[in-house]
Formats: sequence, structure tokens, C-alpha cells
Amino acid sequence: MIFRTAWKNVWRNRVRSLVVITSVIVGVFAGVFSIALMNGLIAQRVNDALNEEISYIQITCKEFRINYDPKLIIDNPEETISTIKLTEGVTGISERILITGMANTAYKSTGVQIVGIDPDEEQKVLNLFSKIIPGTGDYFAGESESNLALIGEDLANELNIVRYSLDSAVLLSLKGKGLPDQVIDKLVRLKGKRFTNEKQFIKEMDDLFAGAESKKYGPVIRKEAWSFRRGTKFILTFIDKDNNQVGAAFRVTGLYDISNSVFEKSTVFVKSSDLEMLTGLSKSSFHEIVVKTDQPDQAESIANTLAVKLPDLEVLSWKKLQPELAMMTDMVQQFYLIFGMIILAALAFGIVNTMLMVVLERTRELGMLTAIGMNKKKVFSMIMLESVFLSLTGGIAGMIISIIVIRITANTGINLSQYAEGFNALGYSALVYPKITAGFFGITTVLIIITGVISSIYPAMKALKLNPVEAIRAE
Amino acid sequence: MKVLEIKNVSKTYNESEIRVNAVNGVTLDFQEAEFAAIVGPSGSGKTTLLNLIGGLDNPTSGEIIIDGTNLSKLRSSELIDFRMRNIGFVFQAYNLIPVLTARENVEFIMSLQKWSRTDRDERTFELLKAVGLSDRADSRPAKMSGGQQQRIAVARALASRPKFVLADEPTANLDSKSASTLLEIMEKLNHEEEITFIFSTHDARVVKMAHRVITLEDGKVVSDDVRD
Repeated sequence: MIFRTAWKNVWRNRVRSLVVITSVIVGVFAGVFSIALMNGLIAQRVNDALNEEISYIQITCKEFRINYDPKLIIDNPEETISTIKLTEGVTGISERILITGMANTAYKSTGVQIVGIDPDEEQKVLNLFSKIIPGTGDYFAGESESNLALIGEDLANELNIVRYSLDSAVLLSLKGKGLPDQVIDKLVRLKGKRFTNEKQFIKEMDDLFAGAESKKYGPVIRKEAWSFRRGTKFILTFIDKDNNQVGAAFRVTGLYDISNSVFEKSTVFVKSSDLEMLTGLSKSSFHEIVVKTDQPDQAESIANTLAVKLPDLEVLSWKKLQPELAMMTDMVQQFYLIFGMIILAALAFGIVNTMLMVVLERTRELGMLTAIGMNKKKVFSMIMLESVFLSLTGGIAGMIISIIVIRITANTGINLSQYAEGFNALGYSALVYPKITAGFFGITTVLIIITGVISSIYPAMKALKLNPVEAIRAE
Repeated sequence: MKVLEIKNVSKTYNESEIRVNAVNGVTLDFQEAEFAAIVGPSGSGKTTLLNLIGGLDNPTSGEIIIDGTNLSKLRSSELIDFRMRNIGFVFQAYNLIPVLTARENVEFIMSLQKWSRTDRDERTFELLKAVGLSDRADSRPAKMSGGQQQRIAVARALASRPKFVLADEPTANLDSKSASTLLEIMEKLNHEEEITFIFSTHDARVVKMAHRVITLEDGKVVSDDVRD
């Protein structure tokens, strides 16, 4: 009966209860969705880092990471590889040569890390092959030639080896994508011009269009006007194993596009056989072995196992390689809890206010209930239940709305492309897929109930202090 | 059989350094199935005496013994429980729980006492029939007249078969027809259930129906008339 009475009491003043419930819905939705968004961002970052950039575990000589000396190769590579392959949980390995050098064109030079790979083995560990921009190349597939390089789109922009031009075909394509005629008419002024770098092209566009127009149409125009000639040459220079300066021309065999512009600008992939020859390293010499595991969570324990098996080598899991990533994944749960508690604390004040009004309005009724024999425990329980029902109704509705919105946006993604440059500079994708676990909702429900209980304490104590004789006579 | 003994009970209030003897040395006994009215001018101590009898207030001195239990010996939580099981209340303002139906209001105390569903339903039906409101069982108080609400309040007061019912000005807010109907029902229940009714009242109709009329003045019993 107490449950039923408390539930019915919630709806006694429908408008007031709905206002409180709505505030709980909004608060819970905002909190859950924000957390899902952050979760999605972090999950994507970790996934991208592990599957496109650093992999799960990296193994090198102990001193190699101090100054990347090319002479510090892994001893007994075959035995080492065999040991790694036999370790439980390892699903792929790839051996690499790592050389620090410069990428040069007639226009620009920039420092890069040159990574010599066996393309077939590398595919088992990193999926950069799937990130190649269509039309720019096909990884190293079917290429028997030497001195081929896979570079990032941002590096190509940096070296000024991409082109932007607006010919008739491009203008027609833009019209087909729905750009208004007045925009096309303005672009005609740039027809026939070729720009060798993005900044120049953007500057011309900004001169043509007002700020809002530029923001709205700029990205699609840039995308259509962009072109790259497959096989474009650039020069890689570096120091070989004998400290001699070496340089060689490489042809681009593909441009990869990932969310991390820093990585794109700084990492060039070539065949390890080419790099062996240029650096003077003997065949099957490697500086680094990258290892893929079943799950990111397993990487730490497998790295520890490998460290014991390979005591002469440095074995680092992704958490040690990128401690900021580790910090995000490990600390983020505490952050979510604090964030959630702040939101619920704010909501609690609204509930406390409402429950105080409830007690004040029902002074006579509460006095009567005490008079006819409702003990303090039951009076407290009834008020506490009303508070819990209020918060739980709003909380459950808020969570249902969150689930629906998260489900939709987890499929479509949330497009933050207007901030793409900033996101990519930090290694994040501008298309975010919110993500939340089922267990999170269980914790949220418990927290909402606790909020309801805590919010009821002060109003319930006020109710218990009522003198039934005076309360019954109250107006 | 005595259901209630009031032994030299006094209640004094200290208000702004003035001592007020709301009840002053009252000694009364009540038997089973009495239908008694306590009358007196405003400020005579009627309501205070009823509050003391009902355990809603503590006497400054004296004892109140209900069915052998001295109220002053009970702890606060025991007193609330004792009240629930032994005393029924009918208030001047009907004081039903507005969100519950008539049926739910009547069975409220029985559910607090953890009666079984069957026993609750049986007793609720019996009482709603006795007060003539079986057809309004699923109506909420807002959908009933004042007289109907007060009848539900009487049914609720009798739900757990208390030793006696205290009614503080139960007809004060009712029209004459409703008041008459209510009093007839209460008298009938007094006979059928053999439960003592003690009224605090100004209503002449109540006084006329009562078997015993106790007159208070300045907190003292000035007369105690028992009628045949």
C-alpha cells in the first residue's frame, strides 16, 4: 500500500512532477549521451592507434628508442619471431626497419620516419592498406618495382605534390552535388588554374566566397578539385648504417588517409628490401617487430610474457608506447563517475525542493497519517519512495531516449567535419560514433535511485518532526 | 468492561510565561459500546482531552489506561503502533488520502497491520456496505460529497476493530441532512460492532443521540450524565 500510495502521490500535482521529471530526463540524457560521445571518441582513437599506427606491442633492442641508431638491429630475428608466434594471444607480427630521414620535393622538405616493411606481413598487423584513397594507388600489391612509397595524404599536401584544379568535369560534378548556380558561377573564375598546395587553393576560395559560403561549400569543392598523379616522385634522404648520407627517389604507390594528421605527415612506408639495400643493412635485419593481439586488454599481459621470454629486448605494450591513450582508457571511468555524480547532484536539488513543497502542502495529511497509526519508518519510506519514483521515472525515460539516440548515431555517426582539422591534429576522427555499454545503464540506475533516496532525507526528516496535533489543525 | 480509564489527568501549557490548564484533573471511565459526547464551550478542553485519550499528546500528570495498557509507559514507536490497533479517529476535516479510492482509504490501516488480502477485502466490503457506499468503492474523495467522505472516514476508523473511536466535531463541516445520516450510521455501528464512540461536539443532534454527555468547563468535568 505504501508503494501504491507513494506512486499515486507522485502524480498528485501532475504539472510539477512533469517539470521535475523532464529536468531529470534532460540531465540524464545529456550525461549519458556526452559519456557515449566521449567513449566513442576514445574507442575510435584507441582502435585507430592500434590498427593503423602503433599496433598492440612493439619490440626493439633496449637502446634503440634512445636515438634510433640504425646499427641496433634485433639479434637472432628468426628465433625471436618464432618465440613471439608461439605465445598465446598473438594473432599477427610484422618486422620493420626504422630510419629517420627527410622527404624532399622541389617545393618542400620535411622530417619523416621511414618504415621498411614486408607489405604482406604488415597487412596482418595494421590495416593501412584499407585506408588508401581510391585512385592514388593500391598499396604495394602486384608491384615488383623497387623504391615505391606509401605516404599520408597530409604529407603529400605538405610536399606540394597534390593538385587542386577546377576543370569542366569538376564543375559539372559540383553542380550535380547540388551546389547553387551562383557558387558555380564564381568558381568559373578559377577554371583552368592549377594549385600546387591546399593553402593557396583555400586562399583563392576565401577571396571568392563570404565566410558562411566558404564554410558551407569549401570542403566539397576541395574534395572534388583535389587530384593526385599516381607514381609522383619525391626524394628520401637519410643516414645509413655507416653514418653516410644516402638519398633515393621514390614513387608514391598510394596515399593513405587516416584520422591522425601528425602520423600522416611523418610516416612513410617503403619495402624493407629497398631500405636494406640503401642503408647497407644485411638481409632480414630488423629494428622493430610489431605484434597484434586478440584484444587491446590482453596486450599488457602478453607484453609482460614476451618480456620474460625475450629478456634482451625491450617489449612495450601500446599503453607504454602512448601513455596518454592509457591514461584516457584507465582514468576515464573515474571521470565518468564524477561527471555523472555532478549532474545527479544538480538534479537532486530540484528534487529536494519539490519534496519539501510536498511535505509542506501535506502537513495536515501527514499529521493525520501519524495519528491513525502510520509509524515514522513508514512515513519516511513513503516520502523516500515518492522521491525515488520521481527520479527513477525521469531517469528511465532519459535512458530510453539516450539508447535510441545513441543507436541511431552509432550507425550514422556524428559529423563534426567543420572541426576536422583540429580533430585530426590530435589524432581523432571528425566522424564520431557514440558508444556505451549495457553495464553503464545498470550503474546509472543505481545512481539515480541513490539520488532519489538522498534527496528525500531532508524533506522526510521535516515530515517526521511534525507534531500530529498541530499538523492536523494546519491550514 | 472498561475500555478506557482516565485517572486525574491534567494538561498544562506554558505559553509566553502564562500557564494554561487546558485539562485539569479529569477522571473518567468508559465502558464497551458507549456512545458518549463531550461538550462544553470553546476552550473548555474538549479537543485537548480527546488528543490525550488518543495518545496524540502527553498529559502533564495523571494516567490514561486503555484496555489495561498505560499510555505513559509506552515508547513513541509503541504508542503509534498501539494507536493503530486500538483507536479509531474521525476528524472534523475528513482527512482522507486524496490519491486513494474509498476502498483503498478504508483498507489503508489494515494493510499497515499486514492483514491478508482476503481479510482486508472482506472487512472493507462489510464496512462500505455498513456506511452505504458500496457503489462508491472505486471513487476518489474529490468525487464525493462531504457527507460521503466523512462516512468513508468512519469506515476507515472502524477498519481494524479498535477499542473505541474518537470523533472530533465530525459533523461540523456537514449540512444537516448529511450530518443526520452520518450520526445514524455511527449509532448503528456502535450497536453492531459494539465499539465505543466518544465525540467532542457542539452539535445538538449528537448530544441528543448520545447515551452519556460529559460537560467540560475550564478543563474540568462539571457534569457527567448517563441516559437510559
